[in-house]
Amino acid sequence: MRKLRTPRRASASAPASRVRRSRRQRRMRLGLLFVSPWILGFLAFYLYPFFATLYYSFTTFTGVGNPRGVGFANYSELFHDSLFRTALFNTFYYTAFEVPLSTVVAIGLALLLNMNVRGRAIYRTLFYIPSIVPVVASSLIFVWIFQPSFGVVNSLLSDVHIEGPEWFFSVAWSKPSFILLGLWGLGQPMVIYLAALQGVPREMYEVAALEGAGPLQRLRHVTLPMISPVILFNVIMSLVLSIQYFTQAQVIETPAGSPGSSTMFFVIYYYQQAFQDLHLGYASAMAFMLFILVLIITIVLLKTSSGWVYYENEQQ
Amino acid sequence: MPRKIGASALKHIVLIAVGAMFALPLAWMVLTSFKSASQTLTFPVVWWPHPFLWNNYPHVLSSLPFGRFFLNTFVYCAVTIVGVCISSSLVAYGFSRLRWRGRNGLFYVMLMTLLLPFVCTLIPLFILYKHVGWIGTYLPLEVPTFFGSSVFSTFLLRQFFMTIPQSLSDAARMDGANEFYIFSRIVLPLAKPAMATVILFQFIYCWNDFIGPLIYISNDSSYPLSLGLDLILGDYSTNWSWVMAAASAATVPIVILFFLTQRTFIQGIALTGTKG
Repeated sequence: MRKLRTPRRASASAPASRVRRSRRQRRMRLGLLFVSPWILGFLAFYLYPFFATLYYSFTTFTGVGNPRGVGFANYSELFHDSLFRTALFNTFYYTAFEVPLSTVVAIGLALLLNMNVRGRAIYRTLFYIPSIVPVVASSLIFVWIFQPSFGVVNSLLSDVHIEGPEWFFSVAWSKPSFILLGLWGLGQPMVIYLAALQGVPREMYEVAALEGAGPLQRLRHVTLPMISPVILFNVIMSLVLSIQYFTQAQVIETPAGSPGSSTMFFVIYYYQQAFQDLHLGYASAMAFMLFILVLIITIVLLKTSSGWVYYENEQQ
Repeated sequence: MPRKIGASALKHIVLIAVGAMFALPLAWMVLTSFKSASQTLTFPVVWWPHPFLWNNYPHVLSSLPFGRFFLNTFVYCAVTIVGVCISSSLVAYGFSRLRWRGRNGLFYVMLMTLLLPFVCTLIPLFILYKHVGWIGTYLPLEVPTFFGSSVFSTFLLRQFFMTIPQSLSDAARMDGANEFYIFSRIVLPLAKPAMATVILFQFIYCWNDFIGPLIYISNDSSYPLSLGLDLILGDYSTNWSWVMAAASAATVPIVILFFLTQRTFIQGIALTGTKG
């Protein structure tokens, strides 16, 4: 089917370049053919609905009949909606604690596991398993262990004479409870960090030790720079997930309620607006705000990352 | 030498303490699931179930059509696994084994879609699915997987395909093999471990998926396990031993699956974390 490569000849440059061009086109057609399922999916499930959301955000729409244009009314309403502000605050609160804490704890656990200890595989399994527990199940488990009157956590706290808080049932402690639930399931990033740590060349530590670097200095000047691209990847992914926090809050709302709207997160509010009140235009405006938010955060992170992310290949 | 032993003991103490914190919620779930209702309502808590109530499980599993929920979940998992295996392997092949203009640009576009919040596309898709009569069925969750919607799987397979020597493909091309032949007869058979990882992760994803069915499935009898589990809370919010029995029933299969496939798992996650 395919001709053998035509040798390049200076004398026949015109036909040769035509051959090259047609080969290039054929290669491009082939490439596009293979990725065509994704291209179709991208157009149908991302591009079209994304722009349709943007369009709906300038309308009022209940899902039946035609959307009616209202200009920027949805957006200006958002700025005056105190529940929306609450949802935004709660989401920021959760993200601001969950992302740094889970990063530090995941790296810490990975460092622990990366040490030469016996039974490492058992510990790794133990730390990883919570992250595959179905989210509904883990949410139920956490409501139960943090149950104020009969929960095992408050019982253990009372053993050391601490009166446990109301956890998911209190305004002040509900979000910290969700953060703890998030920290319990950080097996995924932990395993990624562990793989990254195992990829750091041993010689680098040996050289650093020879130059008199202590364990903390080795961590600061060898380990962390070497795994910094992986840290960036994980931080971005966990930011995007935290901002869209939903399932746990939705499940736990049934038994615990949402004390003083303290667990009203962005997507919870979106879900209520879109699928319970059928304010589709208003919800679309919220969705677009979320997009802008994620965009800004990602750009800021990527821009500032050149200061702390170290890419090995660039140096060579 | 004693210092070394001391350091190693310290490591184990830290690891065991952390391990206990990770294990406690699961242990407490299983212990609670065997208790009587009155035993769950004591303070300070009673650790060991007495009497040991095995029939919390049959009771709770027959109180709702859990067999149905399991079946729905399995079908949902199976269909999307087929979709992901077909589409993600084709797309990953196009993004890794072939060189063509625009490849990297499109690949970055695909990665960028990971950052797009799902709510940014949800409402128009919902309206679209309503028009074609898909609401109430699993089609809105299944069909996209045939169109490369699982970026994670595509990325993972691409990373794996790139590690296969290009010379294998070149040799086959020399012999006149067409690209689809190379894809299906040479590259795919070599990528079995990566495919196993993709299947596993897709299975877990569907098993745990809550928000997808919450939005599109309205009829109780079509519920997957995740929604069924949420249902039990409404019914039995007072009896936590039953709630925990249901939670255990949903968790134990996935944990067993994990133990059977641990290597595939850990290697797979490590592969997604590598840049390239």
